[in-house]
Amino acid sequence: MKAFFALVHREFIEHRGAFLIAPLVLVGVVFTLALLAFSVDRLDSRMTGQLSFVVPTWVFEAGFAGLAGAWLSYLGFVLFFYCADGFAADKRNNAMLFWKSMPVSDLKVLLSKLAAALTILPGAVFGVALVSILIMFGVAYVTAMIAGLGNAALLGTIAGIYVQMALVFLVVMVCGLLWYLPYMALVGAMGSAVGRWAIPLALLLPTVISALEWVTLGGMHPFATRTWAYLTYRSTMPGSTNHLDKVFEGQESFNATLFITDFLQKFDWLQVGIGAVFALVVIYLASEYRRRSAAN
Amino acid sequence: MSDLSASADPIVSARGLSKSFGRKQILHGLDFDIPAGRIYGLIGHNGAGKTTTLNAMLGLTSYEGTIRVLGEDPFARRAKLMENVAFISDVASLPRFLRVRELFALLTNIHPNFSPEKARQFLEGTDIRPEMKIKTLSKGMIAQLHLAVVMAIDAKLLVLDEPTLGLDITYRKRFYRRLLEDYMTEERTLIITTHQVDEIEFMLSDIMFIRDGELILHMQMETVSEKFSQLVTNEPEAQDKARAMNPVYEETRFGQTVFIFDGQDREKLEPLGRVSTPTMSDLFVALMQRPTANPETAR
Repeated sequence: MKAFFALVHREFIEHRGAFLIAPLVLVGVVFTLALLAFSVDRLDSRMTGQLSFVVPTWVFEAGFAGLAGAWLSYLGFVLFFYCADGFAADKRNNAMLFWKSMPVSDLKVLLSKLAAALTILPGAVFGVALVSILIMFGVAYVTAMIAGLGNAALLGTIAGIYVQMALVFLVVMVCGLLWYLPYMALVGAMGSAVGRWAIPLALLLPTVISALEWVTLGGMHPFATRTWAYLTYRSTMPGSTNHLDKVFEGQESFNATLFITDFLQKFDWLQVGIGAVFALVVIYLASEYRRRSAAN
Repeated sequence: MSDLSASADPIVSARGLSKSFGRKQILHGLDFDIPAGRIYGLIGHNGAGKTTTLNAMLGLTSYEGTIRVLGEDPFARRAKLMENVAFISDVASLPRFLRVRELFALLTNIHPNFSPEKARQFLEGTDIRPEMKIKTLSKGMIAQLHLAVVMAIDAKLLVLDEPTLGLDITYRKRFYRRLLEDYMTEERTLIITTHQVDEIEFMLSDIMFIRDGELILHMQMETVSEKFSQLVTNEPEAQDKARAMNPVYEETRFGQTVFIFDGQDREKLEPLGRVSTPTMSDLFVALMQRPTANPETAR
């Protein structure tokens, strides 16, 4: 396992630019812009502070959810490109020869890439996201203080919201990673074989399969097939938002435990299991391709 | 061809080793054994099949026939085999995104027989520092680093495919000296290919010449000096007599004619001119133009 963890770690070293450094730079830029905006009175700190005091819970919860959603979108984007490009990165600069000289199998190398895509890489984005949200909360609290409204109770409320929302963020992110695991594995497997061509192929492949079903089994049109319906279902993360709907309608106050319990209960775990098996199969096939293809 | 100990299991054993790319056959049924503790020079023209042979030994390519390295099928068991085999290919292949210290840390965790202390020792006297990123190193420095890495692996078989390509002569000589003094032991076997044959000739125990995917010479160095002779003469009469003794190669250099003989008695050659053992590069040039140097089955 030591070798496997080392391989996962090297994925982080190789791709920390997209998963750690770029997000940190983004946070730094946005934070600087926020400070600048306040310092030149583009934003009124007293008004901002009062706004966050009038409806503090909603502002902080919505702010957290909005920023977490943005970070999840960023994560999905970079993970897609990581799978398409990172799985073929060993070919760059003839490095495949070096990795082939190591006592690790091709299957172990590809599994380490997939493991990195599920753990340390999204973990880095998650960490930066939490820091960015903490900064946002900090700025909001400071503006409340400037408006003369900051107090221990508000600070306690903010801290409570932060912890609850962070837990929700973590659960949604982990479920999302598990849900989209077969897609990541498929793009990664294609990346192992065709490199960056996996990016257009990942978009083309579902269309081709659906069209194939339409041609062979019939149907209204290529996008009215069972394959397309299944892929559409499989592309949208399931999970209940009942509690969130009630929160936004003002019927209930937000409760992380309630949300997480409801979310996990209604998650399609059978599809997650099927997806995991599919992911292992395609990674194994990709490792066999990598084992048999020329290293130089 | 001299005898080698048949009692010890060979490190590498190939029987009928063939390889084709499409319709083009690259290797034509090679048969050879490489015993432990030897230093082999695998020599051939570009495209002769050297790298393909090495790739087959290292499990990097599929093949027909049989090949066993340390008793293992390299293509099926490459990962296991690499615990005891180290290699450098003819192109710089270290991952560029790592720093030197990150590379050593990674190898410490991945390779059970890698010693970071030894690697650091091998880098002493070079300009390579632990904090340097590999992508910032020059071509020569990358080669130095890679050589330090493979020499820090306690392997039974070390395969070097053009290891000193791009290095200056000072470092090349230093590398080969350290390879002999600090790395080679009786338990270790080294297979090396290079176009700078004369630079490694002093350290080789055996040579293999490969031409168009066929092994045309495979023998110990001592046998080479017994079997092959070089005659240099500038007398037309002596040259005619030499030609009558069926030389395998004849060349005129700076007004002198050089003949290379296979299995000719040196006492018969000495009256005709200056007799010596041909250098590896001379022998290589001579034999690459013959149908075969030793048509009998190679070891």
